[in-house]
Amino acid sequence: MSFLEIDHVSFTFPRHDKPVLTEIDLHFDQAVITALVGPNGSGKTTLTKLMIGVLRPACGEIRLDGRPLVEYSLGEIGRRVGYVFQNPDLQLFCGTVAEEVGFGLANRGCQRETVEERVAFYLDYFELKDYGGVFPLHLSQGEKQRLAIAAVLANEPLFLVLDEPTVGLDAYRKRLLEDYLKKISRSGRGMVLVSHDTAFVDRVAERVVILENGRVIEDSGRKGKAADEA
Amino acid sequence: MKLDPRTKMVMVLCLSGLALLYNTPGRLLLLLAVTVAMLLIFRFDLGAIGSYLKPFLSLMVFLFVIQCLFAPSGCVLLAVGPVPLVTTGGLLTGAGVVLRIVVVTAAAMLLATFNARDFILGLVQWKVPYELAFMVSIALRFLPVFRDELVNVVTAVQLRGVDLKKVPWGQKITMYSRLLFPVIYGAMLKAQRLAVSMEARGFRVYPRRTYLRRLEFSRADYVVLTVFPAAAIALVIRHINLLAH
Repeated sequence: MSFLEIDHVSFTFPRHDKPVLTEIDLHFDQAVITALVGPNGSGKTTLTKLMIGVLRPACGEIRLDGRPLVEYSLGEIGRRVGYVFQNPDLQLFCGTVAEEVGFGLANRGCQRETVEERVAFYLDYFELKDYGGVFPLHLSQGEKQRLAIAAVLANEPLFLVLDEPTVGLDAYRKRLLEDYLKKISRSGRGMVLVSHDTAFVDRVAERVVILENGRVIEDSGRKGKAADEA
Repeated sequence: MKLDPRTKMVMVLCLSGLALLYNTPGRLLLLLAVTVAMLLIFRFDLGAIGSYLKPFLSLMVFLFVIQCLFAPSGCVLLAVGPVPLVTTGGLLTGAGVVLRIVVVTAAAMLLATFNARDFILGLVQWKVPYELAFMVSIALRFLPVFRDELVNVVTAVQLRGVDLKKVPWGQKITMYSRLLFPVIYGAMLKAQRLAVSMEARGFRVYPRRTYLRRLEFSRADYVVLTVFPAAAIALVIRHINLLAH
């Protein structure tokens, strides 16, 4: 049994005729980094939103840890799966950067010392230490992206879904993110990352799934070649 | 049926004005029926009203309960000792408040049956300064943006592992009130960026503007522009007379 299972899933937006996704069959295991690649409008982001229960499939079923996703509340999904939105502005909602990183932990009843310790670690790792008291939407695009990733990672979810995590990051910060994602993977947690950054996919992903026109056209364990083709 | 945007604006003003004036569910239901009929005539998808109202459902329930509890009158339906909790008058007042929100929202949907360009053109032809007309159209465009922003925040909060359904009401109110400021401030930042983008594209470079199209009233417009305001004024006068007696 895989951690996240997508079986025969199709999806069409309300009041639209053309399906965005058709008959998707994908299983994602823990400890594997999977890249979801494909041209603009191929349904990558829609698929990730289905994975985290923000959208519901028109037909087919998605199971998380063996249970149908529809049986989970968004909060329960959020505790298991961390999701980094394509646009970080959509997921930053706190008054300060430090609050943003610690929000999930603080609201799940973690001890204050634990929250502060973890916030300090993630601010330091993603080089946001100097911005702890800054309003998140005042940060630059790259800083917002790092903050969105840090805020999700601080929750230590069992599985990660990252939609375009490298947008706005410089080469050095991409390397930092790469190291951290590999570390997470080694600790037994799986992830799906959507990216157009072929070099990043090449270095990080162990499995590459290519979507085109809402269908999976290739699902390969090989890395590099498939991503380049997309 | 195709009507001039200005005619539709007058219809919205009449329907919303009457909704604010009336406070009994019966009259508000009649007003809602008229509004829905208008939307159907203009082939508006009624399902969209539901999606606009959905985020405000908890607010409407809250207002309904508050009105039920704090506006007691008529027969007592439920009481705790000598304190009346639910009364027929309270229920009617609560239903009136909720219906008023629904009517105003549904009436505003008439504005969605034409595009922003026609809206500005209509106001300008009414001698409203272009800048002001543009501001109003932007404000209308920002309402759904603001609603989406709130929905995004609620989704993002839950995806950080917070089960909002299980959070006690007191804590939930504190959490929402703390989130409100960043949402409002975020919307202001967006407005600021929009202003910069507009200026960068030459907004107000020339003092005089010219327009390719010109809106013309049809016979149907004149009929509606006569019937709607006349009916609204008659109903207002009738309502005032009823209150006076």
